[in-house]
Amino acid sequence: MSTVLTEAPAETSTAPAREPWSAIFALARFESRKLLLRIPVLFMLAAYVAWIVWRTKSGWYGYPALQDVDRATQTGPLLVGFAVLLCVNQAVLRSQRHDTERLFGVLVLEPWRRTAAHALSILPVTGLVVLGVAAQFGWQAVKSTAVGHGSVGELLVGPLCVLLCGAIGLLMARLVPKPFAIPVAAVLLLVFSVLAPASIGGGSATAWLTPIVGEGSTKTIPSELIGRPAVSHSLYLTGLALTLALLAVLISKGRTKTSTAVLAGSLAGAIALGVVGGVGQAAGVSSETVAARTVATLNPQKVQSCVRHGRSTYCAFPEWVPRTATWAEVTDHVQSLAGGTAQTRKLLVQQRVEARYGMEGDGAIEPSTTPNQVTVRTMWGGPRTPEFSAAVASVLVLGNEKAGGDVCDGRMVTIMWLALGWTSDPVTELRAVRLSDTVTGSSIVLSPTNGMTMTAGQTSVVRELLAAGPSTVTPKVKAHWAELTAPKVTTAKVAQLLGVKAPGGADKCE
Amino acid sequence: MTTTVSAAGLSLRYGLTTALDDVSLRLTEGVTGLLGPNGAGKTTLLRVLATAVPADEGTFTVLGHDPRTPAGRQETRRVLGYLPQTPGFHPDFSAFDFVDYVAILKELTDRTARHNEVRRVLAEVDLSDVRGKRIKKLSGGMRQRVALAAALVGDPGFLVLDEPTVGLDPEQRMRFRELIARAGEGRTVLLSTHQTEDVAMLCHRVVVMAAGRVRFDGTPAELTARAAGRVWSSSERDPNAKAGWRTGLGVFRNVGDPPPGAELVEPTLEDGYLLTLDGMHAEATA
Repeated sequence: MSTVLTEAPAETSTAPAREPWSAIFALARFESRKLLLRIPVLFMLAAYVAWIVWRTKSGWYGYPALQDVDRATQTGPLLVGFAVLLCVNQAVLRSQRHDTERLFGVLVLEPWRRTAAHALSILPVTGLVVLGVAAQFGWQAVKSTAVGHGSVGELLVGPLCVLLCGAIGLLMARLVPKPFAIPVAAVLLLVFSVLAPASIGGGSATAWLTPIVGEGSTKTIPSELIGRPAVSHSLYLTGLALTLALLAVLISKGRTKTSTAVLAGSLAGAIALGVVGGVGQAAGVSSETVAARTVATLNPQKVQSCVRHGRSTYCAFPEWVPRTATWAEVTDHVQSLAGGTAQTRKLLVQQRVEARYGMEGDGAIEPSTTPNQVTVRTMWGGPRTPEFSAAVASVLVLGNEKAGGDVCDGRMVTIMWLALGWTSDPVTELRAVRLSDTVTGSSIVLSPTNGMTMTAGQTSVVRELLAAGPSTVTPKVKAHWAELTAPKVTTAKVAQLLGVKAPGGADKCE
Repeated sequence: MTTTVSAAGLSLRYGLTTALDDVSLRLTEGVTGLLGPNGAGKTTLLRVLATAVPADEGTFTVLGHDPRTPAGRQETRRVLGYLPQTPGFHPDFSAFDFVDYVAILKELTDRTARHNEVRRVLAEVDLSDVRGKRIKKLSGGMRQRVALAAALVGDPGFLVLDEPTVGLDPEQRMRFRELIARAGEGRTVLLSTHQTEDVAMLCHRVVVMAAGRVRFDGTPAELTARAAGRVWSSSERDPNAKAGWRTGLGVFRNVGDPPPGAELVEPTLEDGYLLTLDGMHAEATA
């Protein structure tokens, strides 16, 4: 049945020409604002900022190497990433959860454009993480004590992980629109991004398939020797994130032929980008880098610059040359406490690294047998400073670095006095330089190469000397320098010469 | 009056169930009421006209746009406002945010203009004072007005309202009627309802559906006229009446075929509606 009231031509409304992307951007702005105001995201952003502050204050003892600082920016963004994973997923499923799809399904913006907007909504929070990374890196980079160079590729990993997390949340919402999917995805991502790389090891090509690789290394090597495929890895992560996001858009409904073609082309591009990055990162370390690592390890003088500060010469890898003045200050302090010819002896302080295995391995270095040569490592500050001081002192007392590993007599007291007597808080430095982190009993004393042994008696004497202070001890050291540095001198004799209580028993190293 | 929405031969089946059976109608500016019992096919018809589901057969146009092609469907959606039955909300959104969100999905992309439009429709449904309040803190009537604002945003030419007054108290329902009447000025509104009073008060036309088919299409007066001479009062319940009930005055009001000499009374729209449905039952059992 139909009733015709009036026969009249149907009126056609004329819609203005529309730009299909402008609505996507408008929705992306709306969604990004909602995303940034979600409690998990706010909480994790706050936790991320706290993490940055903690890492920045606790790391590198005020002497950062920027090629380490860049990698240290990578794990913190995962905090934000997990929140983004959860909240993007919930945002995509919001209309399903609250039964608004019945309305939204008949509105102009099709599901694929809504999914694209959700994908774009991840960018502002990623931008905040970029700011976080820049702040974390910049905080260290502006320090006058900073050395080395950061890698843009390494710095991009953190923000790209956030992007990847968002893309996973997005795709999961489209593939498995169930509440349980996200906890499962989060656990898998945790295993994939944090636990798996730790168990595989950064040297493996497969490890680079995971988002964050090898930040746990404790070595610092010249940036040109690192050989980490950071740029390729960034390309890989970018390609992976784009692939997942575009897949999510492509499996959403409402696409026209044109949009499908554009999206399919973009997906092919994203996959190609990921493959290029994946292949690049799997290529391993170049032969040039391997050769350069060998040279830097075995013949560092070939690539180092040497500068003279006072009596001594300091040879460092180019990135560390600005730090030689700091080393010279320590050398001068140690020599100022010494007696005999030691106080004017010309030393060669040479920076050395074990770079042949890249970031892998513990980086142990054999002590030098060359007279008057002291090894300095790439890290500085904190316990590294008294360790170097101890090495300088051992060379002044024993003649060369290698002898330090064998010394078991009273000369150890003189070495430790020279190493620590000039410092402002010598007891703290004593604790820092000892492997046991104590100021009593026997312990290994750390140095840039092999450690030295300190008996309980020697520790006791050194502690008394440090308590007495330089004004009391230094004149005695200078006066008795020959006896104090004579081979086989006992600790008791040294104590007696320096006017402190002698320990009981003979010197006996464990 | 100009036809704005026309449908011809719309049919839709869900498995063995025929939800729409050769439905044809033409709508003009103003509010058209859609009456019918549960399962009559009202919501299905509204969903088809709102482009939520395609019909198996038949055609329709909305303001000249044919939704059978993707481009036509998009154009149809651009002139459409839809308030589904028991609409969902995002409870953590404010009323403003929810309507703003819908406005974006309607491709209102200029932020300033869109926000002005959102404020306008929220004012139109008297929600300006609570536009910043989260939807979960609003009353049922207010939520329903948020849904109406979402339907009105973008000034659509064709408004589809599926039982918007269900669950509202009498005061809220009266308020809602005012809003719908206002919304019907200058645009085409199709209002599905179980409330014959809504139709009597708001609609210039009424369509009655049952079992997926249009049983009546005309003015409310024409539907009321169907009951002329078929409503009478009596002191006892008339066993031959199709329907009968005791009124507040203590007499029985009977609808059907009156006995000779019966005391006829003025029919209402509801009487016409009941008799139209009864006629359909008679057809079905004949």
